Amino acid sequence: MSNSLTSSHSLTLAEQGRLGVPQTRRRVVAVTGAAQFLGSNLIGLLEEDPNVRKVVCLDSEAPTTAGAKSRVYNVSLTEASAEERMAEILSAEAVDVMVHLAFLDSPSHSTAFAHELESVGTMHVLNACRRTKVHKVVMRSQTLLYGAHPTNPNYLSEKHPLRARRSEPFFADKIEAENEVLRFGRPGQGRIATVLRIAPMLGPTVDNFVTRYLSHRLTPTVLGFDPLWQFVHEADAVRALRLAALYDVPGVFNIVGDGVLPLRTVIKLAGRTTLPMPRSVASGFTTALWLTQFAEAPPAFFDYLQYICVADGALARKELGFEPLYTSREALIDYANAQHLRDVRLLSETPA
Amino acid sequence: MKRKDKRPQRESSANPKSRERREARPPARPAKAEKRGDGRAPAPSAARAEPKGKGGPSNPKRKARRTGRNREHTPARPEGPRLHLPPPPFSPSSGVIDERTAAVEAGLGDTEVDSEEAFELGIGARVVPPTTQYGEAFDSTPPPVHERKGDVEAQIRALEARLDGLIRQRHFADATTETESDEPVSERRGALAKTDSSPPVRLEPAEPPVEDFISRKWGRSALRSRAEEFDDFGLDPNFEQRVKPVVEFLYRSYFRTTAEGIDNVPAEGRCIVVANHSGALPLDGLMLRAALRIDHKQKRDLRWLAEDFVYYLPFAGVFMNRVGAVRACPENAERLLEKESIVGVFPEGVHGIKKLFQERYRLQRFGRGGYIRLCLRMRAPIVPCAIIGAEESSPLLYRLEGLTELLGLPYFPITPTFPFLGPAGLLPAPTKWRMRFGEPINLDNYGPEAADDHVLVGRLSERVRSSIQAMLDSGLRERRSVWFG
Repeated sequence: MSNSLTSSHSLTLAEQGRLGVPQTRRRVVAVTGAAQFLGSNLIGLLEEDPNVRKVVCLDSEAPTTAGAKSRVYNVSLTEASAEERMAEILSAEAVDVMVHLAFLDSPSHSTAFAHELESVGTMHVLNACRRTKVHKVVMRSQTLLYGAHPTNPNYLSEKHPLRARRSEPFFADKIEAENEVLRFGRPGQGRIATVLRIAPMLGPTVDNFVTRYLSHRLTPTVLGFDPLWQFVHEADAVRALRLAALYDVPGVFNIVGDGVLPLRTVIKLAGRTTLPMPRSVASGFTTALWLTQFAEAPPAFFDYLQYICVADGALARKELGFEPLYTSREALIDYANAQHLRDVRLLSETPA
Repeated sequence: MKRKDKRPQRESSANPKSRERREARPPARPAKAEKRGDGRAPAPSAARAEPKGKGGPSNPKRKARRTGRNREHTPARPEGPRLHLPPPPFSPSSGVIDERTAAVEAGLGDTEVDSEEAFELGIGARVVPPTTQYGEAFDSTPPPVHERKGDVEAQIRALEARLDGLIRQRHFADATTETESDEPVSERRGALAKTDSSPPVRLEPAEPPVEDFISRKWGRSALRSRAEEFDDFGLDPNFEQRVKPVVEFLYRSYFRTTAEGIDNVPAEGRCIVVANHSGALPLDGLMLRAALRIDHKQKRDLRWLAEDFVYYLPFAGVFMNRVGAVRACPENAERLLEKESIVGVFPEGVHGIKKLFQERYRLQRFGRGGYIRLCLRMRAPIVPCAIIGAEESSPLLYRLEGLTELLGLPYFPITPTFPFLGPAGLLPAPTKWRMRFGEPINLDNYGPEAADDHVLVGRLSERVRSSIQAMLDSGLRERRSVWFG
């Protein structure tokens, strides 16, 4: 563990000079959204990393993984004074790298709060970084932002425009935030912005709307459509964030697992039953369910059950040195196994 | 995070005995560190290897329920080896744990390998799934190969080989001693927690595990007929295998297709086959693929590019994808050519399939010459191909343009039989098909930068078009009958 940074793969990339500035001093990394899934796991990983001097955890609650290296601050990005407070903390702790993870994993009913957190909160974070010596921001984004369209190529490259429905606040806020971050890292200012567009995460411990979608006994699909899906394992996602935080590689990267699976196969591998519905019926049905808070996503997400939205991870492999350990299929199976254990336990806890 | 908190309790309650054992074990931490150092590599590789196996790491309980027997797991065995970790269904793990892992443990107990030693050697790394404890789970990259101690590695290899033998042996033993499994869940759990001694397992190469058969037959029965590995473009090999007889019947008996000059298609390397498009129900892509599959010496694999509108339609888009069509766009075509495969292109596009019967065999414009740009960039030769007979098999008498918006179709076909005979009217007429492949056109003497030269692209496109038109014309002159060729 002690020398995970000098492992063979990263070393070769570093030797080739692709990974930018050599590490002269150990870094101080700040993490927003530190108590969430990605944040807390990243902190756990950075805690053990010898190249990190300090981890500054920024969230409204303390991460469970904070250790000796961590400094935990209670910061709420939705407050008006967030920028001031962040700037104070960042300069007091001499933060080098900001890893911005304070985004909602799943669509939320409180769209106003989501907007404050994601779009406005990103602005607060970036302004605080501009006021201090933070030279680099890493942002977590999603491949879902490419949008599902029948005209998508089978593998979307990072150059592809983000075509998710802007009418859906879940996408609109994240696209705005991503644009802000890319503006922050525009060349010529001596600052670096790395955006990781992460495919839907699956794994034994992660909880998001995709895992909840796949945990239904009857999983709704759109009749006559069977798009290809891809996933990334939660461990791979966290590893990618670590790489992005420790190496200065500006740009946008798709973080995806290898391989694709049709949706019906996904659902069957997860051990569920498909419930095919015509789109027109399904959207009305889902609107009602969403409004009554029984569905995990608004009807705009039916696009993803209908059309393809699959990204190409070649650039991350080449420039970031990110090799996924799990394929899409293995991530799914890892998730499904954990889910089955959960199901069994539930059954044994509530005999019926 | 909540879930994580719950786990240790469960684990402890599930199997107190194993917990004792674990506590009795000397310092846990150093052992883990050791494991991380040396045994890190096996864990991911095991995780990678598992899902490809037949039964895969499906939940044992589920499988047991489905198959009605649970002999593939230690629990059901009355006399089993001592388990030193909780068995799969109740382990804190949720990772890729399966019978094999259980068997690894079982095997360890049997062969007098001290569990301590095994643990330190890194064999325990398989048991603890890579994702339960974030510290280890997210340890990013596998350790550098050169740092591994040679002797330890050799030991691990030897042990692994031995264990594999044991596992196979165990499958065999389990299969022969038929165990019942219809006891309720609670009883089975009791059996799980039971630690017991087993007769020593002989170290002999075993017969192929019977379990394979079971998992093939019952495991994931829903997926029986569907491939679990799909290629990048959604081709489903199993599905294709199922429709293959139909396609071959159409190719050989129904259309009695002859493929002339098919040797012009290179035996290896990338290539673009450019053909005329026709038919209210376009079957020419499928037949082109069949031609190269059946009549080409090298049985080459052609993927044809299908128009966008197909992918807006329910069923059609999915079906086309599963049998080998790819959405027509430069990115997809480049990806295919990079894999040195053959790409079938119908540059007429929608204009080709919506031309009326009276316009048959008159090539429409060839789009904007995107395929020429593709060839120039990817340095792929072009093989022109004329398909004769396809245009009469589903002749388009009239197209209703008014319904297009409503149905999301580019046109609504009126053929002699459709829609008057209902869906059956879409069946193509059994005309005689002839495919003529021309000499390959090589564009290698232009550099990739020529792709930006619009005039050149237009000229080359016209050249290809006229060569296909000439092949069509000569073929039509030679043809005596639409039905018999």
